[in-house]
Amino acid sequence: MLSVQTKYFGILPCREEEVFEFPRGLPAFEQEKRFVLIQLPENAPLIFLQSLAQPTLCFLAFPILVADRDYKLAVTAEDLAALDLDSGHQPELGGEVLVLALVSLRDAFSATANLMAPVVLNLKTRRGLQAIRPDRLYSHQHLIQPGILDVRSPEAAC
Amino acid sequence: MLVLRRRVGETLLIGEDVEIEVLAIAAQGVKIGIRAPRETVVLRKELKITQEQNEVAAQGLTGADFKQALEKLRSNSKIDPSLR
Repeated sequence: MLSVQTKYFGILPCREEEVFEFPRGLPAFEQEKRFVLIQLPENAPLIFLQSLAQPTLCFLAFPILVADRDYKLAVTAEDLAALDLDSGHQPELGGEVLVLALVSLRDAFSATANLMAPVVLNLKTRRGLQAIRPDRLYSHQHLIQPGILDVRSPEAAC
Repeated sequence: MLVLRRRVGETLLIGEDVEIEVLAIAAQGVKIGIRAPRETVVLRKELKITQEQNEVAAQGLTGADFKQALEKLRSNSKIDPSLR
């Protein structure tokens, strides 16, 4: 059992097999190779992506379908290979992968989600990376509507 | 923006020491070769954008602002004044 020093929740226990390896880190945080997901019922569907090595580094995220119910993945063949996934087709959302949008909070009233570069996690091999889309179909600053995480709203159903 | 038409094998010069060559053209994209001094940073723009956005995302909010922001995402209704 690991003890993880977290940014928002003090020290939390975590099993080694829950850790996700990010072989390339995340852009601008290339040295951070290990993260855990913190999912608390009271914060659902929010997910916190906490760095193991750096307690002050914790990204706020949610499943990408929360931001856009019709979101279509476009992971490059190179990224799919790095995730140990079949590079012949896009992975199934909610199946073999968990796909998260990183959230930016500039102030209490304006939040955006990065739909251009989702974090893709292979749930089987526990590998992850930020998959920058090769197209320009989605914004890196997708505006999040207030109330989006309200579990009663249809947008949050996924 | 300066727009030029180049064929495969043709090159462009930017400043004194940056050379861009069109290596191949296909339906999926254009293959480009760049010759530049080692200290010149060459990045795909999407990567730069992602780096910058990650910096913003990592900064986040703290304390009451953070709670208030979460509350705002959770509910469209008025924010609890105790969180202010």
